[in-house]
Amino acid sequence: MAKADSPDTLGALRPEMLLSLSQQRGEPSWLAAQRESAGSLSAGLDLPSPLEEAWRRTDPQLFRWDGYRAATPPASRVDALEALPGRVRDALTLEAGTAGVVVNRNGGVLLSTLDETLRARGVVFCDLATAARDHGELLRKYRFQATLGAGENVFLAMNAALATGGLFLYLPRNVVVESPLCALDYVDHDGAAVFTHVVLVAEPGSAATVIQKCASPSGVRAYVNSAAEISVGDAASLRHVLEQDWSDTTREIGTTRARVGRDATYRSLVAAFGGETVKQFLECLLEAPGGAAEMLGVLFADGTQHVDYHTLQAHQAPHTASDLLYKVALEDQARSIFAGMIRVAPGAQKTNAFQSNRNMLLNRDARADSKPELEILANDLRCTHGSALSRIEEQHLFYLMARGLTRAQATHMIVEGFFAEALDRVPMENVRGLIEQRIAEKMGAEAPLGRVTALRALLDEVGGKRP
Amino acid sequence: MAVNPLGIDLDHYRYGFHEPERYSFKSQKGLTRDVIEQISHMKNEPEWMRAFRLHSFEVYKSKPMPKWGADLSVIDFDDIYYYIRPTEKQGRTWDEVPEEIKRTFDKLGIPEAEKKFLAGVGAQYESEVVYHSLREEWEKLGVKFLDMDSGLREYPDLVQEYFGTIVPPEDNKFAALNSAVWSGGSFVYVPKGVKVDIPLQAYFRINAENMGQFERTLILVEDGAYVHYVEGCTAPIYTTDSLHSAVVEIIVKQGGRCRYTTIQNWSKNVYNLVTKRAIAYRDATMEWVDGNLGSKITMKYPSVYLAEPGAKAEILSVAFAGAGQHQDPGGKVIHAAPHTQSSVVSKSISKDGGRAGYRGLVKVHKGAVGSKCAVRCDALILDGHSRSDTYPTMEIDEEDVQITHEATVSKVSDEQLFYLMSRGVKEDEAMNMIVRGFIEPIAKELPLEYAVELNRLIALEMEGSVG
Repeated sequence: MAKADSPDTLGALRPEMLLSLSQQRGEPSWLAAQRESAGSLSAGLDLPSPLEEAWRRTDPQLFRWDGYRAATPPASRVDALEALPGRVRDALTLEAGTAGVVVNRNGGVLLSTLDETLRARGVVFCDLATAARDHGELLRKYRFQATLGAGENVFLAMNAALATGGLFLYLPRNVVVESPLCALDYVDHDGAAVFTHVVLVAEPGSAATVIQKCASPSGVRAYVNSAAEISVGDAASLRHVLEQDWSDTTREIGTTRARVGRDATYRSLVAAFGGETVKQFLECLLEAPGGAAEMLGVLFADGTQHVDYHTLQAHQAPHTASDLLYKVALEDQARSIFAGMIRVAPGAQKTNAFQSNRNMLLNRDARADSKPELEILANDLRCTHGSALSRIEEQHLFYLMARGLTRAQATHMIVEGFFAEALDRVPMENVRGLIEQRIAEKMGAEAPLGRVTALRALLDEVGGKRP
Repeated sequence: MAVNPLGIDLDHYRYGFHEPERYSFKSQKGLTRDVIEQISHMKNEPEWMRAFRLHSFEVYKSKPMPKWGADLSVIDFDDIYYYIRPTEKQGRTWDEVPEEIKRTFDKLGIPEAEKKFLAGVGAQYESEVVYHSLREEWEKLGVKFLDMDSGLREYPDLVQEYFGTIVPPEDNKFAALNSAVWSGGSFVYVPKGVKVDIPLQAYFRINAENMGQFERTLILVEDGAYVHYVEGCTAPIYTTDSLHSAVVEIIVKQGGRCRYTTIQNWSKNVYNLVTKRAIAYRDATMEWVDGNLGSKITMKYPSVYLAEPGAKAEILSVAFAGAGQHQDPGGKVIHAAPHTQSSVVSKSISKDGGRAGYRGLVKVHKGAVGSKCAVRCDALILDGHSRSDTYPTMEIDEEDVQITHEATVSKVSDEQLFYLMSRGVKEDEAMNMIVRGFIEPIAKELPLEYAVELNRLIALEMEGSVG
């Protein structure tokens, strides 16, 4: 593809340029070499063709990066949460007892903390630059090796060549981290392209919860290319929450791939609200018997947002289970695409796979496409998928309005109830509260209802005292 | 090769016969403008049809081979006869039908006596219809049931008005190919208010090695009329691959109803690439009942365009894929008017390494308020090396609709088998019963003799499925 050469915009990736940049940052030589080779790979790869099935509904040209500038990372770090700039701190709402925090701004680290006792037990939770410096050999084992390949497509090649911001988690064998770990990617450099790379490694028997947030303030035009490589070792357990809150002028193309080992559990929740155009590939590979995956999605788009989610539940071994539930609500002229694939490999007997996509259109101009797909090459299994699309039932609104709620309140309550099915499966009050807050904002309401309690309160308020 | 307990080779018994070829005209192999001119000249067609064929040929050449679905790269388009005319003139009565053709029909189980039950037998032997009869009383009512060539000769205005309007040559490569070289097929016209209560049937048969069959059917159902058209095919086994590429166009006007039933049982070397489409106007109903048992590859997606309020579509699809077979059937429903309804039920069975599935599209256009659509796909996989695919797509541009999709994939459960076997049913018979029960919702929609034939064919396919 055509690439601009002006020093200010991202253009052709010249290997020598990548090499010198890497050296300037003091990166180990293996990383510089990897960047260099990914750079040459990307030069030989084109943007996907709109004729490809995965790209028929979202124009690949929207993810050209050559109109953006290289992002300027922060000049220096801060060493405490309190020292974070106010806007950044506001975007970072922490669960109680958070044990580690990594904050990136415009593709560079601003803050990286970790509880000392965890550090002493060998846990690594830090930004990528620190990981390259202090845990180079560990990072090398996982960065674009077995999970994602830099040669898979041009976006991954670009990511492997350029990613500076990001996150590295390493959980040693049998280390269980009870408190959540939290990371934030904050982008406020207008007109910039940010490449972020997340590597999460849970060694056998370990467990942790990672909450990853990303946000850009409204009005900021940005381009984000993200890649996440997750490896959940035998009998390990990892919960991964992704809260996405980009400005409505931010574009994101991302791939998240998790490999799940024997008797291991991977749980993901994607709660996405922002972005002008967002396309995500979320893949879960169940590679050994007993592996289980839960994939939850809460997507709410409004305005002229275009969100495109591809999910994959790949059952590659017998006795594996996966359960996917994606709930999508659309307002205004928003458009969503859900394309979910369950793929069961030959011999993956006793597979249990479920996939459900529910779409709610709140407005006549909204549009939802749903492609729930199955490719099954084993026979002794249970596999179901379902997809439904509806609007809010007038009857339901009538029921609530007959009890004194305004139409807006009633609609809001129904939407919260719609998402509750997914959110009820996430035992984190703060995460849920935040998500409900965002839903309320999207609905034009001031505060979340908080479902049942709020319903009671409202009904009490209007005089209908109920048991 | 399936061998029953008496040692009789069932495969030989099944369709392993063919009559020696005797043709009055055979075009050269391969496709050129000359061949098309020759076909049109032989048929003494009007100028507009000759121009239509030649235009379609240009479209065919300009279209790339579809890259999705089954692998079609092995078809050698230069090794196919595009036109064969078996006898010089149409058979008027049964006596005039050539003896060897009658023998073939006997082997297919269409005894003369059946004529008394059947409304009219439009039997397609090779590319030309040789025998046609229609009950006299229907002729009085104005029902027309002819082969397409005679239809074009006798009702040129009707044919010119509708031919190629529902499936234009530009639709896809194989529709273009059919439009260029079509021969035979049926022309059905049912006048206003006439209800044809006994199904119209046509049998198709390929009998020349490397011969393509490109029949073209046009069914016109006027206001308030009803017709059930039944298409069935079997073909003898040959060593090289054959191509069958039909086009079926159906127009159902206000308040009319049309049911089109196919039990496709081509021999297992046939590439069956068919375009079937109907348009349903106000309060009209279109029903496709589609059974796919034979062929090497079938790609067939009967579609219904619901063009005016109150129109309804129903698609019932059964696919059975055994060794070496890839059944890729499905259906499409386009809701283009308010208050339209559709239902799609697909049942697929794969066995002995076969691949069966469902590929479909439900599209709801903006303004098609109050539309309802339910899609249900069930798949049964009978052994560990067979494959099932489900690719439903839903594109919804309207909020005031109800759309659901459900799919399940499973094996025959041990509990079901145990229940039957504990009552003294042998394992293979129990398996048979379960499979028959699985397809029952569709079998019960077939005319009696077809339901019997379907069950018998499934029983044959199931032979030897229990170790």
